[in-house]
Amino acid sequence: MSYEDHFHLQDSDFHKILDVALSRGGDFAEIYLEHRVFSLINMEEDIIKETSESINLGLGIRVNSGDKTGYAYTNDISIEKIKRAALMAASISSESSAKNSASLSPTPLPHNFYPVLDPAHKRSLRDKISLVRQTYDAAQKFNPKIKKVKASLIDQIQHVWIINSEGLSVSEGRPLIKLVCLAVAEHSNKREAGYCGGGGRVGLEYFKKVFTPKEIGQEAAKESLHLLEAILPPAGEMPVVLAPGHSGVLIHEAVGHLLEADFNRKKTSIFWDKMGTQVGLPNLTIYDDPTLPNFRGSYNMDDEGTIPKKTPLIVNGKLVGLLQDRLSSRLMGLPLTGHGRRQDFTCIPIPRMSNTYIDKGEYDPEEIVKSVDKGFYAQKYQGGQVEDSGKFTFSVSSGFLIEDGRLTSPVKQATLIGTNIDILNKIEKVGADLQFGFQTGTCGKEGQTVPVTDGCPTLKISRMTVGGQS
Amino acid sequence: MTKANADSPLKVLAENLVMFGRSHGADQIEVTILEGNEFSVDVRLGQIENLCEAGARGLSLRVIKDQRTAYASSSDLDRVQLENLVENAIRRAELASIDECAGLPRLEENQIETSALLLNDPAISVLDPKEKIELALETERIGLSDKRITNSYGASFETRVIRTTLVNSFGFSQEYEETFCSLRLGLQAGETDNKVEGSWSSVKRIFKDLETPEKIASTCVERTVRQLNARKIQTQVAPVVFEPPMTSWLLSFLFACVSGSAIYQKTSFLADRLGEKVAGEEIYISDDGLMPGMLGTTPFDSEGVSSQKTKILDKGILKNYLCNTYAARKLKLRSTGNADGGGIGPHNFYLHAGTLPPEKIVSTLDRGLILIRTLGHGLNPINGDISRGAFGLWVEKGEIVYPVSEITISGNLGRILNSIEKIGNDVEFRSSVVGPTIQISELTIAGS
Repeated sequence: MSYEDHFHLQDSDFHKILDVALSRGGDFAEIYLEHRVFSLINMEEDIIKETSESINLGLGIRVNSGDKTGYAYTNDISIEKIKRAALMAASISSESSAKNSASLSPTPLPHNFYPVLDPAHKRSLRDKISLVRQTYDAAQKFNPKIKKVKASLIDQIQHVWIINSEGLSVSEGRPLIKLVCLAVAEHSNKREAGYCGGGGRVGLEYFKKVFTPKEIGQEAAKESLHLLEAILPPAGEMPVVLAPGHSGVLIHEAVGHLLEADFNRKKTSIFWDKMGTQVGLPNLTIYDDPTLPNFRGSYNMDDEGTIPKKTPLIVNGKLVGLLQDRLSSRLMGLPLTGHGRRQDFTCIPIPRMSNTYIDKGEYDPEEIVKSVDKGFYAQKYQGGQVEDSGKFTFSVSSGFLIEDGRLTSPVKQATLIGTNIDILNKIEKVGADLQFGFQTGTCGKEGQTVPVTDGCPTLKISRMTVGGQS
Repeated sequence: MTKANADSPLKVLAENLVMFGRSHGADQIEVTILEGNEFSVDVRLGQIENLCEAGARGLSLRVIKDQRTAYASSSDLDRVQLENLVENAIRRAELASIDECAGLPRLEENQIETSALLLNDPAISVLDPKEKIELALETERIGLSDKRITNSYGASFETRVIRTTLVNSFGFSQEYEETFCSLRLGLQAGETDNKVEGSWSSVKRIFKDLETPEKIASTCVERTVRQLNARKIQTQVAPVVFEPPMTSWLLSFLFACVSGSAIYQKTSFLADRLGEKVAGEEIYISDDGLMPGMLGTTPFDSEGVSSQKTKILDKGILKNYLCNTYAARKLKLRSTGNADGGGIGPHNFYLHAGTLPPEKIVSTLDRGLILIRTLGHGLNPINGDISRGAFGLWVEKGEIVYPVSEITISGNLGRILNSIEKIGNDVEFRSSVVGPTIQISELTIAGS
């Protein structure tokens, strides 16, 4: 049965629902239907410990009236319950005159950013278990110091169908998969964990061509062994070199969030009055691009049915763009960018990042490291956080000391902290080696999580505070 | 028991599904249904921003066949779909490995009297939406009336009513209803490039226990403006006072390190240390699922094991790990009634109060930091290492002299537990993991 069949609803039903939603005079009404099937396999302690299947079905109804939003959702898909939800959402407006919805014109999407040859949701559980076992075995057999391994495969297919009072009717299916491995190494009373993972909006062919289960398992094992040798970082201000790829989390935290339109419309972001001004050095260009093929943060349409665009945020150090959803775009009078996303049907869409990255520069990455006498090289991260004032932190799980222009002792568990505009003006050198981090990341905002990726080339920050122990 | 109403349609559905599973090859089956109704209003700058109202249901199940486990869940409660889900789960279980520790808990003889736990306030379901909106508006209005406040993140009022139904093939079949309400405010102070933010909230099961708009607004204003004109400080080692929300944060990390699943997986620095002295003499930490009206209180856990009070640290000695049935079997211990979905969760996990008023802790501090907020990740249960971005207030000779920002604190939970010098008398059960003001003898503070 196709996913539309789960809803048993026709165009005429949608019209009735939209008319109820606009019955109190709202400007705009929208129905968001979602059907998602999610599957999980967990292996630990040498056994396939559990498998799980999860079905998420429901719809959300949104009504806008000026800058107000009424929202209601239900997973009881009877026309009476849906109309009741529509009436609740309608109550955000209290005018006497009802508005009518435009007739629906179903439109196919003009592109597919995630061509998939071998969709995971169509493969047997047995085949998927085999991928998990290969990952697990590769990590465990890598070295006798590896004492514990966990490997998981998580895949889902999310069907989204968006219908609104302007006549829009669009739908798409979004595959998403990740294969992850955690390895714990032990030696002389020390215990460290290493992580690796791969995936994206891909099919299982990815695990043959791009990143194999064996590589994922071995990378996790190597990381845990590396950390066994690691020392705690020095504390204080010093030059910091950010490794390509995973360090993209810096840009996600330090810049991306504060360029989400809602924070600027509400003037809480430090950037709100800086549009068109120089906020970084001329070597700095940052994009958010939801159209990157097969990337975890990509989508063919956003969760409001808008076709997404590669969006320049900072070009040659100048602030040029924001990430928009419908509401902020309308209220700010700025064009849509296709960044209205939501976790699921229970959530109101808000401006979010997709795949965010610093564009490549001109420096040879080795030269960048050579230019530092004494500093810190940050390589892998646990995550980061920012507040609207621009203060951010990010947690480095592993890195190296830089001494006399060379990477020396491995370092673990450091925190980098700074204020965004200050740091943007200290990005002294930008490498030519743009890379992306693991295709396993998730970003949280206002209690909603969505899949994202981020990336950057090797970067040199002239001075930054490193939190450490000595 | 809340009325074990034999006619509750969700209970009948769960019972039928358990019977269906048993007759289709499951050795054991457990079905949980959550039914929730929520209302929330967000206001900002005196206007309603979002109004959300919803009713939703979800069912989750676990089957065990030949000591092999499979899980499933669905928000589609169509009978045919659910029966498919059970049959699929039984088939999937056959592909998992044999696990000697798999299985549901046996039915207990004595069960907890739910009504004594005060989980449910009937006043919440009948609150007038106008009153709810007005509470949020009033809270923000009072906050914004302070001239030092320059912007608002808005105020929210939210209510939830949740009914939990749990049925398993060992004959467990119970339901209970609980309510929550919360009022929150977020504010900003300072000018363009020198902004600070703060927030405060109150979450309760009983509506009349909620903090007043005045209290929430004044606390929020104070917590926001006290950070204005922060300085950076030199990198150094100094005593650090944790305010209660920071003690809660530290205890959440400790909870993760005494959770049975981290113990049997040996991903906690406290693995294999039961009976050892891991903290100072004066440290008592408990988890109590039976405290009437508290946020972490429940009659039974997500597997139907009765809640209890469990000592974690007693005079600094590690007494128990918190376990669900699976972790308990792995560790040859008993379940402590802390099953939470597939994992382990706290009930009311708290550090017992000491005798010192918090003002006294500060006034006797010669030189050090009061930790007021942290930012970021940087907790590693495997070795107990902590490293976080932080905000604080600098203290000299017992007086707060200025706020500090752009610092990080780092330390190790194992060492921190042995260097808690002072314990305040100010435990408030504001969330399910709480503690009083404490003073740690030293932590590394990285600054300029």
